[in-house]
Amino acid sequence: MNIAPSVLIVDASRERREVLRFLLERRGAKTLEAARPEDAIRLAREEHPDLIVFDAESDDSGSGDPSNDLREIADGNHTPIVILGKVRQLRNHFSAEQIVAKPYHYGPLIRKINSLLAAA
Amino acid sequence: MPSLFVIQGRDQGTRFQLDGATVTLGRGTSNAVQLHDTEVSREHAEFRKRGQAFVIRDLDSSNGTFVNGRQIKEQELASGDQLQLGRTLLLFTGVTEGRVEDLADKINIVTHQEEEDGSRIVHSMHQSEGSEILSMPPDNETSSPWLARARSNLQIMYRTALAVSHTLDIDQLLARIMEMIFEWVDADRGCIMLKEMETGVLVPKVRRHRSGLHSEERITISQTILDYVVDRNEGVLTSNARDDDRFDAAKSILRMGIREAICVPMQGRYDVVGVIYIDTSLTPQRMLQQGSVNKFNQEHLKLMIAIAHQAALAIEDTTYYKQMVQAERLAAIGQTIASLSHHIKNILQGVRGGSYLIEMGIKDHAKAIAADKVDVGSAEKAVSIMRKGWGIVEKNQERISTLVMDMLTFSKEREPVPEASNLNELVSDIVELMKARASEENVELIWLPAPTMPMLMFDPEAMHRAVLNIITNAIDACHDHNGGRVEVSTQHSQAEKMARVAIVDNGSGIEPDDLDKIFAVFVSRKGGRGTGLGLPVSQKILEEHNGRIRVESTMGEGSRFTMEFPAISPQPSSSGTMPAVRGSTNIEAVPADSSHG
Repeated sequence: MNIAPSVLIVDASRERREVLRFLLERRGAKTLEAARPEDAIRLAREEHPDLIVFDAESDDSGSGDPSNDLREIADGNHTPIVILGKVRQLRNHFSAEQIVAKPYHYGPLIRKINSLLAAA
Repeated sequence: MPSLFVIQGRDQGTRFQLDGATVTLGRGTSNAVQLHDTEVSREHAEFRKRGQAFVIRDLDSSNGTFVNGRQIKEQELASGDQLQLGRTLLLFTGVTEGRVEDLADKINIVTHQEEEDGSRIVHSMHQSEGSEILSMPPDNETSSPWLARARSNLQIMYRTALAVSHTLDIDQLLARIMEMIFEWVDADRGCIMLKEMETGVLVPKVRRHRSGLHSEERITISQTILDYVVDRNEGVLTSNARDDDRFDAAKSILRMGIREAICVPMQGRYDVVGVIYIDTSLTPQRMLQQGSVNKFNQEHLKLMIAIAHQAALAIEDTTYYKQMVQAERLAAIGQTIASLSHHIKNILQGVRGGSYLIEMGIKDHAKAIAADKVDVGSAEKAVSIMRKGWGIVEKNQERISTLVMDMLTFSKEREPVPEASNLNELVSDIVELMKARASEENVELIWLPAPTMPMLMFDPEAMHRAVLNIITNAIDACHDHNGGRVEVSTQHSQAEKMARVAIVDNGSGIEPDDLDKIFAVFVSRKGGRGTGLGLPVSQKILEEHNGRIRVESTMGEGSRFTMEFPAISPQPSSSGTMPAVRGSTNIEAVPADSSHG
């Protein structure tokens, strides 16, 4: 891969975004960050990231479930998406590979991201 | 507590609690139980506690005191006893006695095959027909005896309704019903069985024998009859007197006597909740005496059905009430657990993130050592990763500690431990503590202490938590705002005798609709960051200090939280000032009334 892949991290927790950013940058990826799903949708449209990591449990203030909107964009762009949390609610809308239960371990998550980026 | 309930008379519907060792009853105003009845003497009777029991004693009243229709001088009372004083009729309810007897041993339910009793159904009556007890008499019986009976039945029903509507204790209620039935129906033995919710099995709850009969005697009830009553929802009158051709009825009756029984379903609003069973035996001698072989008739059956219906309604009410309370409790516990799990999960996620970074740092360092490439640059890099990870772990450790402390504060019924403390110092410490968090969120934290702040009595530990939670919220409200600013100030008003801590933010503000919800437990508008415990905990602490939290908020402009509580100055002699002089070697020399501050 010539250019560094870009990963959009969507998580309300700055701390978790920071950890993931650090780990992804370590392996040579560029990161985009969004705390809110609205910003994430905008970023996904404009920046066409190679992968989206979305923490579905961190934002429960908004109405409705933004994960479907985000997936539509991801599907339109042929961007793989990894959903963190809400396994039970989202099981019907996402494949088992796309969902990671919380609390997750970082090792397996990073491996999953790596393999998705390699396949893309 | 034992009580008296007025069934009849001018005070009808009044309940008197018998509180104290001696309670007097009479027309005079000095009596704890004052009856507005001209036929009651000024000082009519008194109740005295004797051990666990209550005793009524007549105080030489003009018209006397009657217990269950019998005039008495002094009498120990049992639950369900009826007292007649003048024109007033009262129902006595004692304390609930522990029921130790295992009724399952005392009452046999026999299946069809082993029925030794040979009882069969003489009459059956649908549950709904029980209400006909008050209906028009048959044409040939319009004379006054019917009217008298109807009136007496009406009274029985009225008293049953009263009796069952005043208790939430099912065992007590059943015992009272059984007692009333024995008063009105000439039965020898009786029992009430309730259907167990889960299994549908009838379980004996109360049994009673007419006094004089051996109480160790077992009651045998036919399963066939019970099934019939429950399945068909019909009350039955059975007799083992056989008018069957195959038996010589007279001979059998003369040898064994006759056993008659009434068994009625307890039909509630929704279901049959149990059965009431009574029976009686007629010895050959008594049969000869009264010249009849029947003691129970259809009138009894009707009455029993009506009584059972009343009892069933009361039991259903009690059961559903208990279930409702239980369901609500379970729902609340479920919500609590779900909410706590969510927070703990997030904290755990943070810890995992932090420790993964530390692990990375260690791995990097180990790799460098293995490759023999340890230099200052790589070592510093490894340490900086570990430091970053460690910072995250520590922060989450702080979070779990806050969560646990808030849970403890919220769940414990604790009295504040007031100590002479300085509110300015306390708030100043918190502001200092929160500075790092505020700058991390790009929020300016401003501290404006009151120019004068005397020592006040409050629980410093609790107040610390209360103020900390509100400042945390204020900083979070400014999260993601440019130029976020939180102003913390204290105030002491000598005139109002109030101390205040005001926390003003220029954050997002609170929706007007949410304003009255913010103090509800587990309601958080902070997404994943709030536990929903902070404000309720602060409010609880302020309330424990006889204070309150006032909230003013404008959407988009910010909120002002004012915590205020009565400013109580320490008494010079109170223990609150003791820590100031503790440790002083000449503590003995300090006069108790001298002022230290």
